[in-house]
Amino acid sequence: MQWLFLFSIALATCSASWAAHIDEEYNEELVLRALPNGKLAARFAFSTLLKGTTPRPPTKLSSDDASQHYTLFPLALGQLLREYAVTELHLTLNAGKWDYDSWGYPDEPGVGTGAELWTWMGDGAPTSIDERWKAIQNAFAGLFCASLGGMDTQRTTSPTRAFPPTGAMPHNARLRHATLPAENVCTENLTPFLKLLPCPAHAGIAALLAPHRVFDADWHGLGVHVRWRAGVGVELVLTVQAVMDPVRTSVEGKRDWSLRSLFDRTVPRACPVASSSHIKVFPPSSAVALALTPEPFWKGAAEAVYEVSQDTSDLDIAMRWPEEAKFTHPDRNLSSLSDFSVRRTLQGTTQTHGRLTVVLRNNRQTEIQTLYLETMPWHVEFYLHTLTVTCLGGKPCDHLFSNMTYIPPVPHAKPALLQAVLTLPPLATVRLSMNVRKSFLRYTEHPPDAQRGWELPPAVFIPVDSAARRMYTSPLLVDLPTPDFSMPYNVIIMSCTLIALLFGSLFNLFTRRFVVVKVYEDVARTVDVDDTKRK
Amino acid sequence: MAFQLAFAVLLRLGLALSPLRLILKDDDLLSSPLTSHSRLREGIYLFQHGIDPYSGGTFRHSPLFLSTFATVLPSSGVVCALLWLLVDAAGAWALVQIWRARSRLKSSRRDEVIAATYLLNPYIFLPSLSLSTSTFETTLHLISLMFASQGQASPALLILAISTNLSLPSLMLLPPTMLLLLTDPVSHLASPKPFPAKLTKTLPLLVEFLAYFAVLVLACSLVAGGWGWIESTWGAGILLPDLTPNPGLWWYFFTEMFDYFRPFFLMVFTMHLLIYVAPVCIKYQHDPLYATFLLLGIIAIFKPYPTLSDPGLFLSLIALFPETYPHLRYPIVTTLLHLHAALLLPLFHHLWLATGTGNANFFYASTLVFGIANGGALLDCAWAGLRVAIGEADERWVVLQE
Repeated sequence: MQWLFLFSIALATCSASWAAHIDEEYNEELVLRALPNGKLAARFAFSTLLKGTTPRPPTKLSSDDASQHYTLFPLALGQLLREYAVTELHLTLNAGKWDYDSWGYPDEPGVGTGAELWTWMGDGAPTSIDERWKAIQNAFAGLFCASLGGMDTQRTTSPTRAFPPTGAMPHNARLRHATLPAENVCTENLTPFLKLLPCPAHAGIAALLAPHRVFDADWHGLGVHVRWRAGVGVELVLTVQAVMDPVRTSVEGKRDWSLRSLFDRTVPRACPVASSSHIKVFPPSSAVALALTPEPFWKGAAEAVYEVSQDTSDLDIAMRWPEEAKFTHPDRNLSSLSDFSVRRTLQGTTQTHGRLTVVLRNNRQTEIQTLYLETMPWHVEFYLHTLTVTCLGGKPCDHLFSNMTYIPPVPHAKPALLQAVLTLPPLATVRLSMNVRKSFLRYTEHPPDAQRGWELPPAVFIPVDSAARRMYTSPLLVDLPTPDFSMPYNVIIMSCTLIALLFGSLFNLFTRRFVVVKVYEDVARTVDVDDTKRK
Repeated sequence: MAFQLAFAVLLRLGLALSPLRLILKDDDLLSSPLTSHSRLREGIYLFQHGIDPYSGGTFRHSPLFLSTFATVLPSSGVVCALLWLLVDAAGAWALVQIWRARSRLKSSRRDEVIAATYLLNPYIFLPSLSLSTSTFETTLHLISLMFASQGQASPALLILAISTNLSLPSLMLLPPTMLLLLTDPVSHLASPKPFPAKLTKTLPLLVEFLAYFAVLVLACSLVAGGWGWIESTWGAGILLPDLTPNPGLWWYFFTEMFDYFRPFFLMVFTMHLLIYVAPVCIKYQHDPLYATFLLLGIIAIFKPYPTLSDPGLFLSLIALFPETYPHLRYPIVTTLLHLHAALLLPLFHHLWLATGTGNANFFYASTLVFGIANGGALLDCAWAGLRVAIGEADERWVVLQE
């Protein structure tokens, strides 16, 4: 009888919790990839899945939302997603330039310098897409302590060909995309980021994220990715990527590394709520013998897998090359890890005009087709009629540039959006070049440090057959002509004086009569014009 | 004289074919955002690639330019340079015709001088070398004035409607052009009298102009596929979205303007341009050609996007009014001011934007000098035009204004 009672209580509790809570699943993974040039690419992925849920339909934004109870999913983020009915969202905050040639493709493709935010939202809500987009920026700016509020309409585009949804979409989904290449990433962004994790900094893989080491990396970036997996649920993946240089920190110049040497931490214990927690190590594909300690849980063809389980304590993975006294950097030009290499430059010495040049080199024996995307603030206007596409030896090959769509910029309001398909013949170098005109801004539109110049967003290349291998170029710095910032009153005074002078003189001339004055013996007598005529 | 004219034409031909045009192509003094040849070609490129050129801020030319250059007229190469030279020559020819109409002569010894003041005026031929479409506007103004001087109402009004379509401030020339059509172009400066014809006679002319204008607007909307072109072209002259430097007074004023005063001052500047029309037409009702001439000078100083060809047209027109020369008060000062500004404008523009050793204020100051020079010429001409009526004065009399 007692058993039956206890059982019924347990059943009641369970059913109550089923009613109130959504089934959640939390997985974490760390991928460590030793690169041929001695560096180590680390990628942390913390994914939380809200099983069986769907994003809030935008049409129901006016009615009250169901109350939200999460145990693992971060409430702050969940509330924002439901408040603005966001179906898919990607936010990345990166610092540095990802070197595709020597590092290969990143595990998370969003590696553009600075901040990048793009969302897919369903239309049909009482508030417009753009209002929600603005609200999301402000909310995320607050959540991650980043200046995302600068992503106004002057930076927002909708490049649907380049950023297709990665999950399921509601009816009438719209894309909003913006980048802030000048945004810096630092501890103030990482701290709120870690707070969204179920086991922040104490247990599990997240314990490795010591700010002073992550931000010491050659390249580092944070990412928030939300998508709706149809039939499965809403998935949130928080990622941290970093490219570390063990050779730089090593006294002997060796590329040996361990978790402690990289992160100044070890994995102290497993995160108790994690369904799975893996560390994958990919050694470089070289003939030099290496030693991996401790012994991996499972060893595949290319990778070694460690499982962080309940009996793990102070896991410190180390990789050593015992026979290598000193690491010698391989020849950089030997081979590129990416299918093609891109270099984008802005040339020209004047502050009014310049020439934008993109040089692409196909590193493969096969033809590559790639989508080329430029989102350019209105500060720099393209002269598309000067666009030239040249191959080896300056030979024109305009046929390689096709399927162009272009939205011209609107001054003080909207950026330009240029999308086109580029075909790269095998092992060919293609040079794309066009004139640009730099705009003149109102004095209030310049930032406080106007002489520093403006960062232009990176161009994005998306191979037509592998959309996940998105490539970003480095951002550009453009020097725009500046007015004198101390002059507003002077200019108003001086221009108005000139206008008043001319107006006054003409007014004088038009309203006063001509008279002829006779001058004799200091007595002036005025006579009317008509009188003089009569004489 | 004929030799000198041939020299002028040959010199212009040589300059048109020289590589100078490549250097001058994007010069801010010679072509404004509304008249730049690079932007015209960009607009044609977008138009031919199925992109609405008026959806952005790069292209601000009238759809009339877009349609003619995308189809009939050449938009690049040497042919283009020759076309601009031809248009300039047409302008010079029209100017000579105006002179003949005014002096009631079939031909005179002054014809060549007048053609040369136009063809060799650097303010006229440099914009033409840079392929600025302001050359077309200038020539259309002259041709419209020519027809008006010859008393041909329909062509004059049609061409004025076209030039108004290309550049909205030309609308200010409609009242004096109508007055000119009702009277004659002969100089009456020396004998001012009230306007001889009835003003109600302007009504049919006004209706005719509006009809031409409406047809052109409709044609433009057909070409552009909507009404969006109005905001891009005419709207630019009212809202001033593009703050590219030019020799006028607007650009730096609105670069430095406080945001909350911007609409107010835009309104003031636009209104200010309009208030001159009535006084000038009333004061010079006895000689509408002179009123047109002064209004062209006012437009050149105060229009939103002037190029050097606007003051150039005004200065070349001075050649039509030799009777006012004895009464100019300070022609030397005005000439020196013009010389000063003409040297400083390109120099300070280069120092600010190319070498980076000067700042915007240098160039702004030289645009002010240029404004004073043009204003000086305008005031002197306005004075001389009124002063002619009183005639020569000996030492015992002084002419003053009451």
